[in-house]
Amino acid sequence: MYETLIPLIPLLPILGFAFTALFGRRLQATFGRWAAEIVPVGVVVAVWIIAMAVVVPALNHAEPFGEKGLDVLLWTWIPAGSFTVDIGFHVDALTAALLIVVTTIGMLVHVYSIGYMSHDAGTWRFFAYLNLFMFSMLILTLANSWVLVFAGWELVGLSSYSLIGFWYPKRSAALAAKKAFIVNRVGDVGFALGIMAIFVNTGTMNIQESLAKMTESGAVMAIPLVIVALLVFCGAMGKSAQFPLHVWLPDAMEGPTPVSALIHAATMVNAGVYLVARANPLFAHAQEAMVVVAAIGIFTAILAASIAMTQTDIKRVLAYSTLSQLGYMFAALGIGAFVAAIFHLMAHGFFKGLLFLGSGSVIHAVDGEQDMNRMGRLWRKIPITHWTMLIGTLAISGIPFFAGFFSKDEILGEAFKFGNYWVWGIGIVVAGMTAFYMWRLMGKTFYGESHVDPSVEPRVHESPWSMTLPLILLAIPSALLGIALGLPFGASTITGWLEPVFAESELYLHGEPEAFALFGIDGYLILSSVFVAAVGLVVGIWLFGAFRRHGKPAKVQQLTAANSATRFLYRASLNKWWFDEINDLLFIRIGGRVAAAMWWFDRTIVDGTVNAVGGITRDAGGGLRRIQTGRVQNYALGIAVGLLVMAGSFLVIVSQPR
Amino acid sequence: MFSGLDNISQSLEAYLVLSGILFAIGSFGFLARRNAISMLMSIELMLNAVNLAIIAFGAFSLSLNVDASVIALIVIAAAAAEATIGLAIVIAIYRNKKTPLVDEYDAMRQ
Repeated sequence: MYETLIPLIPLLPILGFAFTALFGRRLQATFGRWAAEIVPVGVVVAVWIIAMAVVVPALNHAEPFGEKGLDVLLWTWIPAGSFTVDIGFHVDALTAALLIVVTTIGMLVHVYSIGYMSHDAGTWRFFAYLNLFMFSMLILTLANSWVLVFAGWELVGLSSYSLIGFWYPKRSAALAAKKAFIVNRVGDVGFALGIMAIFVNTGTMNIQESLAKMTESGAVMAIPLVIVALLVFCGAMGKSAQFPLHVWLPDAMEGPTPVSALIHAATMVNAGVYLVARANPLFAHAQEAMVVVAAIGIFTAILAASIAMTQTDIKRVLAYSTLSQLGYMFAALGIGAFVAAIFHLMAHGFFKGLLFLGSGSVIHAVDGEQDMNRMGRLWRKIPITHWTMLIGTLAISGIPFFAGFFSKDEILGEAFKFGNYWVWGIGIVVAGMTAFYMWRLMGKTFYGESHVDPSVEPRVHESPWSMTLPLILLAIPSALLGIALGLPFGASTITGWLEPVFAESELYLHGEPEAFALFGIDGYLILSSVFVAAVGLVVGIWLFGAFRRHGKPAKVQQLTAANSATRFLYRASLNKWWFDEINDLLFIRIGGRVAAAMWWFDRTIVDGTVNAVGGITRDAGGGLRRIQTGRVQNYALGIAVGLLVMAGSFLVIVSQPR
Repeated sequence: MFSGLDNISQSLEAYLVLSGILFAIGSFGFLARRNAISMLMSIELMLNAVNLAIIAFGAFSLSLNVDASVIALIVIAAAAAEATIGLAIVIAIYRNKKTPLVDEYDAMRQ
């Protein structure tokens, strides 16, 4: 049965994409919006149902999944001698965890888009792209070979490109789409090289087989595992927007908000985390690479959090927050806390999807305004959006018993217990910053004075049910996912689910885990992170207000301008640490000069040589052409002279004495 | 050797010299005369010079006697055919170009 159900999961969205792309425009023109929406939304709901039917037994290690997971082979894709690539899927607990996030949030975002895109002429195109994205992402998660993962990897990049640039007549949107695509290519080169290195090392493209071969004890590798792991991580850095390839994600907010929620917060950007988690045996046997992963992750976390603290575009704050949380996940992977990373991935998928959809609802309410300085006091006018976003904020801040509390605590706690104090130290600072900037977002948007444009003010309205329903449905896991999966401490449900995937690596890295001590070290760790989060929230409430309490904008001004250090930090944060400017200098100005020099070399030296050879041949031909007079007697003279020369030389030769 | 033909030269060189002179005259005519008809006549002269050389070789070498006659006959036949076709071509060109002078026939250049 599962052999039929699993291929259906990616098959349905691609059929939905084909149908909508081919007939969507005509259907929409003839019958109205609903006709173009019903198929793409319908297939995604169907996919969710099928996925749930697969996920439940897969997570419980029931037959036929077992602890190793189920392989479904469809056909041989590339048979080329000893090199063969199969089209096939591998479903284990890790895949299932991703399936939950992708299909659930995918479905809710599809429903939400019905309301959000109701003023847009190109609805059918939007839904076609969304279905294409679902297909790509599901291929990426389900694939059992590196080549198929790479295909899905590139396809999500393509659909992300199309959706960021959905409003392509807007120049900034078209540029952001290109930026995302090009920056991703940089990482993809590394990933492609990593896949080739894996093939060189193992001679197979199957993920499970190649990982097993690479981690056999005593195996000798042509290419050191550290290099392979770092190359694979390169791809993860691009897709998950880790420093220094993080610059594309904030700009990707030019796309419609449902896209930001689905692709740039909840699913696609998690692909990098998924990839590293999938390749966990490889990373476990390349511990130098894991240090790099942890360092880049935690550095991105604090860098992005520092930028998020001063941005005023509501979606950009969330985008930097996403970067920061992804940094957390990589830090967790880097220290070998794989379960915690995937737990945070799931929790983050839900609450960040919720926050993005909520921000979309806010933007919808205030007539397309995204600047938080022109919002405020909205909490009574759009209550459902406000309350659901409040849940999302508490969840991401790590307030006890919301989802983020459990997952973030697990990351920080394991960082400390595995002896990575630097990761823990930076991580806990980031936790405080997260709580602060999220409350800043809430305060500026929903509380304090209203700065909404007076002409828009009377028209502020709660969004239609198709938008609020997904918010409510996402608020539930944001609030309860942690309790459902993160308890009991030390032997949580999610650990039970994911243990078989990571057990070997975790044992190899850390040995037997210590027992959980709620009234010992673990208790203190939890208390410390809750304390930091609470401090962040309190400072946020003090400066930006809550409910009827007004903030202190004058105090904010005073603090940022206190002395030269704070002024510098404020400017650095506001200008995103000048990364766009640095990239512009390095790659546009300096790189452009180098490219211009290369072009000159190519044009004059390389092309010049080739052209010279051609020119000489042509001129030689032109010269010889003159002797072709077309007169018979000239030719005859040639024959006569030739004959004389031949006869003469014959005579000379035969008269030579032997 | 040639009992009944005492009045002819007994020296092969004489025939070859004559043949060479005839051939030289023919080739000079072919290269220097502009009239197509004169050129054809020069070709005939060269062919006959060659024929004379062949026959002379045949007369002075017994083993070549018969072969030389056959070759000479073939050359005469070939010369007749060549003259026919050559004249036909010259007449055809003459009808087009209204001139017998070959240096005005430069259509092969194009």
